[in-house]
Amino acid sequence: MKKKSKALALVLTIAMTVGLLSGCGSSTASESTAEKVFNYGTVAYGVANSNVGLNPHEAYSGWSTVRYGVGETLFKFNEAMELEPWLATDFEQVDEYTVKINLRDDVNFSNGKKMTGDAVKACLENLIAVHDRAPKDLQIKTITADGQSITITSAIKSPVLVNYLCDPYGAIIDMEAGVTTDKNVVGTGPYVAKTVTDTEINLEANTDYWGGTPKVAKVNVKSITDGDTLTMAMQSGEIDATQGLPYASLELFQDNGDYTVSSTNTSRVYQAALNYKSAVIQDDAVRKAMAMSMNKEGFTTVLLQGNGVPAEGPFPENFSFGGDAVKAAAYDIEGAKAVLEAAGWVDSNGDGIREKDGKDLSINWLTYTSRQELPLLAESVQASYKEAGMDVRVNATDSYKDFLKAGDYDVFANAFVTAPTGDPQYYFTTHVVDGSDYNRGFYHNDKVEQLVEQLRNEFDTNKRSDLAVQIAQQVVDDNAYIYASNLKMSFVMKKGVTGFTAHPSDYYEITANLDITE
Amino acid sequence: MRKYIGKRLLQLIPIILGITLLSFALMQSAVGDAVDALYDNAGGGVSEEVKAEKRAELGLDQPFIVQYTTWLGGVATGDMGTSYISGKPVFETFISKLPATIYLTLTSILLTIMISIPFGILAAVKQNGIWDYIIRVMSFMGNSLPGFFVSLLLIYVFALNLKLFPVMGNSEGWKSIVLPTLTLAIAMAAKYTRQVRATILEELNKDYVMGAKARGVKESSILYASVLKSSMLAIVTLLALSIGSLLGGTAIVESIFMWDGVGKLAVDAIMMRDYPMIQAYVIWMALIYVMVNLITDILYHYLDPRIRLEQEG
Repeated sequence: MKKKSKALALVLTIAMTVGLLSGCGSSTASESTAEKVFNYGTVAYGVANSNVGLNPHEAYSGWSTVRYGVGETLFKFNEAMELEPWLATDFEQVDEYTVKINLRDDVNFSNGKKMTGDAVKACLENLIAVHDRAPKDLQIKTITADGQSITITSAIKSPVLVNYLCDPYGAIIDMEAGVTTDKNVVGTGPYVAKTVTDTEINLEANTDYWGGTPKVAKVNVKSITDGDTLTMAMQSGEIDATQGLPYASLELFQDNGDYTVSSTNTSRVYQAALNYKSAVIQDDAVRKAMAMSMNKEGFTTVLLQGNGVPAEGPFPENFSFGGDAVKAAAYDIEGAKAVLEAAGWVDSNGDGIREKDGKDLSINWLTYTSRQELPLLAESVQASYKEAGMDVRVNATDSYKDFLKAGDYDVFANAFVTAPTGDPQYYFTTHVVDGSDYNRGFYHNDKVEQLVEQLRNEFDTNKRSDLAVQIAQQVVDDNAYIYASNLKMSFVMKKGVTGFTAHPSDYYEITANLDITE
Repeated sequence: MRKYIGKRLLQLIPIILGITLLSFALMQSAVGDAVDALYDNAGGGVSEEVKAEKRAELGLDQPFIVQYTTWLGGVATGDMGTSYISGKPVFETFISKLPATIYLTLTSILLTIMISIPFGILAAVKQNGIWDYIIRVMSFMGNSLPGFFVSLLLIYVFALNLKLFPVMGNSEGWKSIVLPTLTLAIAMAAKYTRQVRATILEELNKDYVMGAKARGVKESSILYASVLKSSMLAIVTLLALSIGSLLGGTAIVESIFMWDGVGKLAVDAIMMRDYPMIQAYVIWMALIYVMVNLITDILYHYLDPRIRLEQEG
């Protein structure tokens, strides 16, 4: 009897302690207060994205400054990726090297100090002094301030200087307040960061915001890197909105009355650069057949589960020079077969792979795995190219740079944001001209070189757009690049959340319009 | 005793030199570097010229041995450097993550002990009885389920359906630690319950137990005063290894529960080739294992006075 009661006591003790630890009881429902609190979970903040902290003058941290409503740039992009004034009212292209920017007169930093020409000058001067990319993008020679205007002189002709100033590194911060040790800054945005860590940013409304008082009092931005955690945190209601859900999870929230999904096309394109140094790729018929055999529709609808749009050229349809403005070869396996047949590529030994001069039509497809869509694209072309009689050997490796250096590839497939500044020049000068950093296919076309040179010197927006279409069409006609898909970006939020929409630039997330109505 | 501890602590110096040199060499031989990781992950692209300038700024264009000795010189003067990626001081960043890891280590070890010792004893005492079978089956299941699966299962049941605990850590006080603790403790308790059972059974079959029983000593006295004490050596060894491993962080559990500890920090640092941060982690791991082993040796001495520490031998 005594033994039994001892055992019972032991079991009870364990049960009580475990119960105490596991805290059976109260629910996790968030406390109800008068002020609105918005909890936002994102995969896009953190060390792995090189955007920790809010100092726009460091690496990619400016993305966090602008995304989370702490800082603003002089100009911004609208939905069509066209320039709009933000902290500036307008600009005047004084000459090919000089731009005068007029600033709003009603903007204060969140510490109450007025945003003047001198403050903007100090900020931009620090930017070009310490940032890694900005000096080369902006090519600024001098900045002068006069009241509520600044004048920037460039070292080179710079038709897209104002576009570059929309890059989040161009967020205007108070340099006198400086940057704190936890990488916090004083900006002009609707929110002020109270705490900044490498996994979380806690924001409070800037009640003196020049654009009106924000409707939500507090915003907590949490870095959530695991897709399942992000999904379940959204389902459990711990977060009010999220960005970066896995494709498989996105389905749970689509067509669900409890949630709203905001999607937009981005300029991140999945592309294949065809290596002109490779003997098989030098054959025009092979490149053409490859372009005709890529099943872009199947890739985007099935493998990307609708989270992409089949691409014609490098830019998505929300750009005047993107979408259907460029025409690529249609998916046509029979046509591809005919093209190869006519060029002498025939399957004489019946193994399903065509040969010419005793050599199999085999393509070495180099790609990497850190973007989940790229191995899927490789598998998709492997299947469709096989139908046309082309063998694809996939090399999906994170050591791809070694293979690039060794030139050991026929095709290099990657993902790239083609128009981060809303302008096409950046993509062409990095991908299609001789010696450019990302011209992995060693593509050269005299006409393209000439058109890109014209683009560099053209200040008229419409003419720039026309030139961009001509260049992209030539690249597509040469089958130098095959563009598979543009990525669609989606935000998921509880149904009561408003004023939170996905933007094609991927720059703007938390704004003064954010509200929680239920 | 002091001399012995001092000697063991002195051994840390060559150990740290050796493993930091080795880890530095391994990271250097890996493909890509911090600059590639910094820019490639961000999406767009920068010119090779910008990358070259960044490498020069970080000293990554220097020969391996120069990089290592520069880092070592810094450490010797108390400066562990600055993270290549976040730009923050490595020491401060690392220290800021430690409380979460230590907290999770303590709770999960405590829960493991509270589950495994009573259930292990119960299974041994009731060998081949219904309790023994139930405990063995549960322990088999606990051992077989991978940590990430257990954590997702716990989140699904306790956070999504019952809404008892939050999905994410560090968000609702003490409630946040329950699910990560359970995830870690389930696997460890499953392992230790079997270990405790086996050790106790082994002891129960020894002659001194038979002798005590023959002399009419109460079974509970034999169990708690003699058998359990003798079995503690094996259990302490296992627990020490587990504590070492837990203090090194549990990257998967930390990632799933967004528990902001050193495990996730280390994985991020490795992914981003953040050498100064990786080196800090390597030093921490060396410290943990040396210290845990030292404490275990001292505990051995107290648990079983027949075991003598080195200087006493």
